[in-house]
Amino acid sequence: MISFNVFRKEFRLIRRSLVIWTTVGVLVILVYLGFFPYVRDPDMALAIEAYPEALKAAFNINAAVLGDVNLYHGLVMAYVLLLSSIYALMLAGGLVARDADLGTAEFLYTKPVTRRQIMGAKVAAFLAALLVLWVITFSASVVVGLVVGEGRFDLGAQLMVHLSGFLATMAAGGLAFAAAPLINQTQATTSLGAGIGLGSFVVSALSKMSDKLAPLKYLTIQHYAALDSAAAGEPFTGGMAVLAVVFVAATAVGYILVERKQFAG
Amino acid sequence: MLAIETVGLTKYYGKVRGIIDVSLAVGEGDVFGFVGPNGAGKTTTIRTLLSLIHPTSGRVSLLGRPVTRGGGELYRQVGYVPAEVRCYPEMTGQEILDYAASFYQRGDREWLRSLAERLGFDASRPFRTYSHGNRKKLGIIQALLHRPRLLILDEPTSGLDPLVRLELFRLLQELSGQGVTVFFSTHVLEEVERICTRVGVIREGRLIHVSQVGELPGRNMRIITVRLAGGEAPGGELSGWARPQPVEGKAGYYQFNVSAPVNELLARLARLDLEYVKITDPSIEDLLLAVYERGGEGDVRG
Repeated sequence: MISFNVFRKEFRLIRRSLVIWTTVGVLVILVYLGFFPYVRDPDMALAIEAYPEALKAAFNINAAVLGDVNLYHGLVMAYVLLLSSIYALMLAGGLVARDADLGTAEFLYTKPVTRRQIMGAKVAAFLAALLVLWVITFSASVVVGLVVGEGRFDLGAQLMVHLSGFLATMAAGGLAFAAAPLINQTQATTSLGAGIGLGSFVVSALSKMSDKLAPLKYLTIQHYAALDSAAAGEPFTGGMAVLAVVFVAATAVGYILVERKQFAG
Repeated sequence: MLAIETVGLTKYYGKVRGIIDVSLAVGEGDVFGFVGPNGAGKTTTIRTLLSLIHPTSGRVSLLGRPVTRGGGELYRQVGYVPAEVRCYPEMTGQEILDYAASFYQRGDREWLRSLAERLGFDASRPFRTYSHGNRKKLGIIQALLHRPRLLILDEPTSGLDPLVRLELFRLLQELSGQGVTVFFSTHVLEEVERICTRVGVIREGRLIHVSQVGELPGRNMRIITVRLAGGEAPGGELSGWARPQPVEGKAGYYQFNVSAPVNELLARLARLDLEYVKITDPSIEDLLLAVYERGGEGDVRG
């Protein structure tokens, strides 16, 4: 149930932002993962060990992580996930809210396509953009990881890191698909996307700092993606399933709301 | 078959009135003028026809098929020009037209080119750089490019210069001649008189009158402007028959409306010591004032 010409147009309209966010993701990998030979220096580990325990737990920084290319890649990918989740929220929200905001609804929704086909095209454009982002960032991880990892970079485990990240950004986008039909301004979805993406990252960090805050982790995509576990070769498959379900359920809500949405001008 | 049929169409935005119990029947091939002041409910009616907004109650059919929430195939034979044409700002006019054409099987580039030429539209520029008039031209072309059977236009002439407006009227008349149904919303009543065969009047959300354009109430009315010798006000000669009012900005001139046989009118005027007289037909504005004043009596179903 996809309108392919709407898909082509929507994908074309988001190309520029995709290039920018993918470039930023790749740069983060190049710079941070590229630094691995320097961060695994024993002096660096000693310096890190002097940090407060809560801070180390919050940001998953410790001597073991800094000494292992696979665990360190998981740490780097946490920041890529932060960026890409903000992008996913903004992208999905913008795809839906734009029609009401720019007034393109009067053009698009009076053409011989159903609202379901239009929404399908937008979801497909979103997924295609995420796929491009995660394939390219994975390629960057592989290249840099193989160069700096001295043969220890585990491709299978790190593929699971990216797959978990992909699912987490899908879930974030799904939430935006559910919320965007209620918001008629692209700018509002952008702000909301940045706020929720950053908020999830901060809450995830806080939840690791004390037992009292620990239950908050269930509200974050970081918990379900569990990039650190995936990087260690133990992906949280239950969490990945939750992310997939969140995407499907939230996107379904988005479909229903778009079907009922009114464009009063 | 009816091109447009609404039955008891009602829309409330919360507690705010949109339209109330609008029942319309527009036959195929009609050029139907939908007239009313700003805020009367014209755009709400049109958006409901197109399922951009959903009615609180009532139903809509276009070209014999019920309009449903999901949109779809029904719109293959419908063209729509919104009151304010808004589109993808980063795309050029040509890209927007190509995108619009991609929704339809028939691609007639010669027809597209002729439309652009007739309306004087330059499709090479980005949408964001277009003036209001050029946006309106783009809206008209994209609504016509697939040769729809039903054309719904919401105040299509706003922003167009007079020559383009005339060309649009010619185009609509040609399409009407080919059997296309035109539903034309406007508050410029002269436009209705010029191209429409039938007219519906909406006021405060209610359809108060539907008829042939020539059958609007007050059609026999005449507007008389007089100046008596010495600039005096008309007095007893007209008493009980007409109520002359001074013409603003023209000292000594008086104007009144009468619906009376011509002979009686001339006989009455002959009793006056006239220095100046002008007898004119009412404008369509005057006719609609007559409809409003009568509270919309008469046929309210097409």
